[in-house]
Amino acid sequence: MGDDLNHPSHWWGKYSLAQHELWQWQIGSLLLNIRCLPNEWQVAYKQSDESADDENFWRIQQLEEEAQWFENSSRYVFREITGMLSVSPLLADRPVISRPRSPFNIVAGEEVTLYVSTPLWMELGVGKQQKKLTELVIQRPSDTWFGPSTLEGELCYATTTHCRLYLDEIPQRAHRAITPVVIRNQADSTLSVERLNVPAPLLPLYATTSGQLWTPKVTLTRLEHGEMAALKIDKQAPIEAKGAKAIRAPRKVTSSGMLIRAFNAVFS
Amino acid sequence: MSGLWNDFINYLSSDQFWSILRALVLLIIGFFIAKIISTTISRSSKKWDAHRSMLIRRGINYLIIVLFGISALKELGFNLNVLLGAAGILSVAIGFASQTSMSNLISGLFLVTERPFSAGDIIRVGTTTGEVLSIDPLSVKLRTFDNLFVRIPNEVLIKSEVTTLTRFPIRRIDIQLGVSYQEDLKKVRQSLEQVAAHNPLCLEEPKPQYMFQNFADSSMNIQFSVWTKRENFLDLKNNIYQEIKAEFDAQNIRIPFPQRTVHIDEASINALKQNQSS
Repeated sequence: MGDDLNHPSHWWGKYSLAQHELWQWQIGSLLLNIRCLPNEWQVAYKQSDESADDENFWRIQQLEEEAQWFENSSRYVFREITGMLSVSPLLADRPVISRPRSPFNIVAGEEVTLYVSTPLWMELGVGKQQKKLTELVIQRPSDTWFGPSTLEGELCYATTTHCRLYLDEIPQRAHRAITPVVIRNQADSTLSVERLNVPAPLLPLYATTSGQLWTPKVTLTRLEHGEMAALKIDKQAPIEAKGAKAIRAPRKVTSSGMLIRAFNAVFS
Repeated sequence: MSGLWNDFINYLSSDQFWSILRALVLLIIGFFIAKIISTTISRSSKKWDAHRSMLIRRGINYLIIVLFGISALKELGFNLNVLLGAAGILSVAIGFASQTSMSNLISGLFLVTERPFSAGDIIRVGTTTGEVLSIDPLSVKLRTFDNLFVRIPNEVLIKSEVTTLTRFPIRRIDIQLGVSYQEDLKKVRQSLEQVAAHNPLCLEEPKPQYMFQNFADSSMNIQFSVWTKRENFLDLKNNIYQEIKAEFDAQNIRIPFPQRTVHIDEASINALKQNQSS
């Protein structure tokens, strides 16, 4: 059986909805209404104007049938409906760019661990096969460009929060995942870190018992001559996330755990 | 009647008839082989863009048809050396007669090698903007946004300025605005940056640019430039003007309309007063 909607321990899970019931998920600034009808699922959402970024707030509640329906709504029609709904968290579909509060330098031969908080999407699936209905961003991050010029680079998302050197400084939020990023400077010169490219589509998600979401540790190594960077993604949850369990596979799967990229595709 | 029938039977059994039949069969086979090969190539060329795929498909199609056409002519007993010689002389004559077409054809070759755009791109030529449907030997076909079919000769494209709107993934929107002389420019700049920071379609990097333009007759003119993903260009352009207006209203920043300040000197005022009293 699925999770209990009346006493949820986290905002994701597998639920069973009775027909005509209307449930609302409120996570960060996202308000999402879901209704199950005899032959269709109705989904409506709204981004609240109030910034809830600094709150670790989420709630699942049943609403009256006549409750307010949001403008952004869609209907998904099925031959038969079982009422099974799966709500799961998902990382961004593009890399996420994070900045430290102020740029810092890593001298040759040194390494540092940073903690980056990245935004989450919410995927809705229905039925036993969890057929995907849609995915919604919980809090839309800004677009940004990452590359040496406007001709060369890639489109990414920019986090609204800074990456931190100390885990305690990262606020724990239900609608964001934390990624530990180790930066190693194996080149002869000092590495100046102004912006950091976190490869969100390649990362799986882990959840702790308290409901905090984590990704595996990412190690970025500036290689000897300084022009290339190696990117390694661990295969297990980070040690900071004690007892975390895997809940979601990455959006994109890489054949090897190690990627070699141009230096300016990872750091700037 | 029987004489005509005998002539027909004799013709059917003659070498000439069989040559024509063989030539026809060759042409039909050539046509089908060209069709099959070009279809197979277009199906298996998913990694090429639409333009390259179309060029290769057409090139192979024409090449096969020409080869089979030559074989068919040979079957009909034509001496190909004489034919080629005649074709040479003919091509000079045709070249003079069809200078425009030849110019378009050669321009088409330059377009293909230079590749300033390919099929599927959106280009602007003069006042026409549209999606490139095909790049043909003589012309480029466009579909405009109001769903009109436009044929632009290749020669025109080579001679004129062509802007490819879909070349790079990001674009800049330049917002021209004027604020009243009473306004604090620092506050104006902060408000504009605030609007850009709150709009997720506005790229965080490259950073929005604030440029003071000039002191105009009725306003201080500013250019505020923001970057966005190419596909979001129109959405952002529509939203950001509304958001700037809302933010300016909230901050009490006025966008002035053209105005003139008229100063009347003391002597003129006295003259007016005297006129009124008399």
